[in-house]
Amino acid sequence: MNDTDPTSDTIPASASAPASAPASASGRRRPREWRVVDVIVASVISVAVGVIFWAWSAGYAGIAVLTAAFPPLSGLYGGGWLIAGVIGGLIIRKPGAALYCEVLAAVVEAMLGSAFGLIVVISGLVQGIGAELVFAVFGYRRFTLPVAVLAGFVSGVFMGVHGTLTYHVAWAFEWQLLYVVLGAVSGAVVAGFLSWVGVRALSRTGALSNLAARRAHTERAL
Amino acid sequence: MRRALLTRANPLSKLAAALLLTLALLLTFDWASAGVALACELALLPLAGLRLRTLLARGWPILAAALVGGYGTALLAPKTGTVLLEWGPLVFTGGSLESGLAIALRGVAIGLPGIFLLATTDPTDLADALGQRMRFPHRFVLGALAAVRLVGLLITEWQTLGLARRARGAGAGAGAFGRPRASAGQGVALLVQAMRRATRLAVAMEARGFGGRERTWARASVFGAVDLGVMGGGALITTAALGVALLLGTWNPIWG
Repeated sequence: MNDTDPTSDTIPASASAPASAPASASGRRRPREWRVVDVIVASVISVAVGVIFWAWSAGYAGIAVLTAAFPPLSGLYGGGWLIAGVIGGLIIRKPGAALYCEVLAAVVEAMLGSAFGLIVVISGLVQGIGAELVFAVFGYRRFTLPVAVLAGFVSGVFMGVHGTLTYHVAWAFEWQLLYVVLGAVSGAVVAGFLSWVGVRALSRTGALSNLAARRAHTERAL
Repeated sequence: MRRALLTRANPLSKLAAALLLTLALLLTFDWASAGVALACELALLPLAGLRLRTLLARGWPILAAALVGGYGTALLAPKTGTVLLEWGPLVFTGGSLESGLAIALRGVAIGLPGIFLLATTDPTDLADALGQRMRFPHRFVLGALAAVRLVGLLITEWQTLGLARRARGAGAGAGAFGRPRASAGQGVALLVQAMRRATRLAVAMEARGFGGRERTWARASVFGAVDLGVMGGGALITTAALGVALLLGTWNPIWG
């Protein structure tokens, strides 16, 4: 990648700080507080992922046709809609990051014109809460592969339950359960695993050097 | 030229009206409520300053999804009523066709308010309304606004990256997974560019005093008579849609 950006590497991480604790510009460490750079980066990630969501939703029509014979299979497609929450939580590492990113990405998708209309914003809220809960349980301190996968998984469970209540109320209970399980598996793999791999790839380029996840690529996976 | 009526309304009132109608349509699926809502929405086109042609250009994915959904439902719904078409495994009956029609109409009726909202709302107005009226934290509202402005830039950058990668001979490997892998690589490259831009943007914004505790607003977000009309109109359409469905006996709640 090009390295013409003069600002991206100007704040070096202090060698003694633990990798999970961001140093604020003034030197005081307040890991829970959002700095301006966190807000802006979280917003930009969400917008970028929102564009991906939009493309993903456009592909759903085709999937809906393919899975028409056995509709619960469409749950497997759901993981793509959960990426924003997990990736936002992994990069920003602050309370509310997963929720904020997932909701904003959903808003962007709605603005670009989604077949799901304004419901996507509500879906985003529910799915974001799912991912946020997992990061909160670990105290916003652990961002390992299992935590990411679990965040995607729980987000998928929330998506499945929400989808069942809004779209698939008429299905038999076994099918609804299968839909939730498949959604959770898809969330764990697509949103959990792939986001974690993606964040490591990003941090390796130095693009995250001003953020809490600046050393994500050297952290242990487990 | 006079600006379209909906453009002058406060984004929050439009959002409230659209959400109300969307939630009401979610509760039931039948052709009557969806049809009434859709007819009212189309009648409101001039108020949004939209032409049918622009609407089609922007809303074709919604239309396509609704048609596909309607077709799928018509194919799979219980085969009640008289058989209209039988061709191999494809059977369409009066009852299944009615369900398909309901799903298709409902899909379009739910999708359209979003298009109206987008076409008549300046993101800046929405951010002003959310920050001043809803009292959302201003750093997040304005950060989101700044990021939304980057959408066009990100799309241009995606194309530039594609050209650069092609010139270098990067990506597009052989095999079934060649293209997805190339796209993933290009996606990471785009995110890296986006991150760098965001970091620079944050420094620039902070240097201009963004992020303090108090904030003053250049444009006041106000509610006016138009907003009463918009919210009243939303409530009216919602009531009409549900009322007609109840009157005609097509009311078909999703929990029933």
